[in-house]
Amino acid sequence: MAEGKEAEQVSTSDSDQADFIEPETPVEIKNSMLVTTDSYEHIDYQDLESPVYDSHPSGIIHAIVRSGSVEESTDTNDEELHTQCEESNEDASSNELSSKEISDVTEEVSKPEVPELNSAEFDEDDVQTPEWRNQKKHVFILSEAGKPVYSRHGTEDKLVTIMGVMQALVSFVHDNGKDALRCIIAGEHRFVFLVKDPLILVGVSRGQDSTQQVLLQLSYVYNQVLSVLTYSTLHRIFKQRRNYDLRRLLSGAEKFLDNLLNMFDSEPSFLLGAVECLPLDSVIRDMIAQSIVQHAKVKDLVFALILANNKLVTLVRMKKYYLHPMDLHLIINLVNASESFKAAESWTPICLPKFDSSGFLQAHISYLDESCQTCLLLLSVDRESFFTLSDCKNRIKDRLLKYNGLKAISDSLTRTSYSIQQCGISDLRHFLYKSRSTAQYTSPELEAPYLSQEEQERLFGLYHYLHHRIHTTARPLKILYSVGPHETLLGWITQGFELYAVFGPLVTKPAAIHAINRLLRWIKKEEDRLFILNSVTF
Amino acid sequence: METRKRAFLKVIILGDSGVGKTSLMNQYVNRRFSNEYKATIGADFLTRDVTVDNKLVTLQIWDTAGQERFASLGVAFYRGADCCVLVYDVTAPNTMDSLDAWRNEFLEQADPLHHDEFPFVVIGNKTDIQAKSEKNSVTQSWCSGKGNVSYFETSAKNGSRVEEAFQTVAQKALEQDTELTKEAYPSPIQLPQDNNKSHEGCSC
Repeated sequence: MAEGKEAEQVSTSDSDQADFIEPETPVEIKNSMLVTTDSYEHIDYQDLESPVYDSHPSGIIHAIVRSGSVEESTDTNDEELHTQCEESNEDASSNELSSKEISDVTEEVSKPEVPELNSAEFDEDDVQTPEWRNQKKHVFILSEAGKPVYSRHGTEDKLVTIMGVMQALVSFVHDNGKDALRCIIAGEHRFVFLVKDPLILVGVSRGQDSTQQVLLQLSYVYNQVLSVLTYSTLHRIFKQRRNYDLRRLLSGAEKFLDNLLNMFDSEPSFLLGAVECLPLDSVIRDMIAQSIVQHAKVKDLVFALILANNKLVTLVRMKKYYLHPMDLHLIINLVNASESFKAAESWTPICLPKFDSSGFLQAHISYLDESCQTCLLLLSVDRESFFTLSDCKNRIKDRLLKYNGLKAISDSLTRTSYSIQQCGISDLRHFLYKSRSTAQYTSPELEAPYLSQEEQERLFGLYHYLHHRIHTTARPLKILYSVGPHETLLGWITQGFELYAVFGPLVTKPAAIHAINRLLRWIKKEEDRLFILNSVTF
Repeated sequence: METRKRAFLKVIILGDSGVGKTSLMNQYVNRRFSNEYKATIGADFLTRDVTVDNKLVTLQIWDTAGQERFASLGVAFYRGADCCVLVYDVTAPNTMDSLDAWRNEFLEQADPLHHDEFPFVVIGNKTDIQAKSEKNSVTQSWCSGKGNVSYFETSAKNGSRVEEAFQTVAQKALEQDTELTKEAYPSPIQLPQDNNKSHEGCSC
């Protein structure tokens, strides 16, 4: 991989560009069910620091819809693009602290003096074990007082000191001219800081993730905390007690954080800001959606959705309300991380921060089949509606049984996704295709040579690299053709889609371009099955 | 939603340079003393587990730099402390005079909810050199005038009364770590902003 970077070419010349004929947007719908933000640009520093969705927790959905639609129009607006670019350049320069500043900081905060002083104590410390140090990715949450809240690896009890140092670093930089500490690069480690009053989130990565990608992960972690507590509660607590030990309120929720981070490392949906749909015949999908519409027309029911194996089967929403992909990922994580929903119908409060960070929606969660693969979620603002929704669930289930909807879902699940062979394109090993207007993506199964865990991680690393190179704010690219020792990568962004394709190392550029064009035609042909194209409302 | 997790208590040590803040911490945490003086740069962190009221808690002790040129770790540094230890040197009366300034600095920067009730522990250090503080009575009355303040005279060198002093620190800190009042618990479901609007959407 590393050697590959040297051989890469960035196709920018006119002749190269001419080969990429932008097709008509393969998937075009006016009425999307998901808020279609361009997730990546959306979650940059400006967005993370923007007080908009924090300080106006209510009614935020309207703001999101607005910002989503505005963003698409700016794509064509050169002037605006230009200024954005300048901003991001500034961003980049202030982004990484000069090495001098860093050394100032490290001088200022002396390490726990001489290790010999307390070597006996440190032996037991997790921080000192090679296992702990060799973890690829650490994520820490601490309060602004420097009290540990969560650590992905190791127990927080043992990490009091390291979290203290982190708080001191953030505090020190903040005090020197109201600056913000964003990233420290030390050897092969990248320390990324996200300060979300009253919490400090720190990601430490040894992998290829870019600062922005780690930051995206941290903002997901933050939203997961909000999902359990709500923004209003989190702030009320720390306003009342700055010294509060948040682990008390989060106890039991650690598994959601763990699971989210694990999914993040293996599922491209987070990186792409998109969801994967279960491939289904559009007639059957419509039938499933209509079953919900007809049998769950209940006051205050905002969203109804069916998930199967982390994939979206259908989503029905109240008119005017949209689900943000980030919120949908939290819902998927909730279902994925919990075994208890399999035992009985559940009634769970969940805050969807992009929807409304000030309060809880109440989720009726149940599995529709014996094998617990097909999960129905009914999200309401009425917390007294459990029995009403339970009735709805039974009627929906009956209808789905009657019309073989559940069978269609389980059939699709046994087929898993689809083989790359079905696309009928030689040389193409794997791809991710995101439809930007629907915030959905599709991807074939992982096949040889990506069968082992290591190879899958390596492939995922390639996608991270490609995604980062294309979306880097300092120099965003439309097309990137990169020849590596084991694979050739091709990334292509248009207004309608993002495509990341992986070829064998010996493919030629014309062959790759030819393959991509054939792939796009195939996706166009299959789009009814791979994507949810029409948005259903109550 | 009580949990069995062990409480972390954040303790800040403040005082003029050379009064023995780092030595006290080392004596308490590592039971060691060194005659050599090294100025603390910025801050040191040490932790010690201690039992208070049959509860095991972890003291997260933040030793700070007394020298002004190093004391710039920022406002946020003091925030969220559960107890503050003010140290002076019994052989150097002027260091006692600074207690007021340190206390004010702490209250200003940490800005706890109720300034008058925030727990402080004052330690007159170096009783191995001079058994009794000349300023003992002055300090006593200073402490009683400030509300929630306890006073100890210790020696970081021979360890005299260090345990008792920090036991009180832990006790007072734990008192700060109280449960939340009801209002702070998660709010019941709120309708997403505008009830009418969502119903409009529903009815058509």
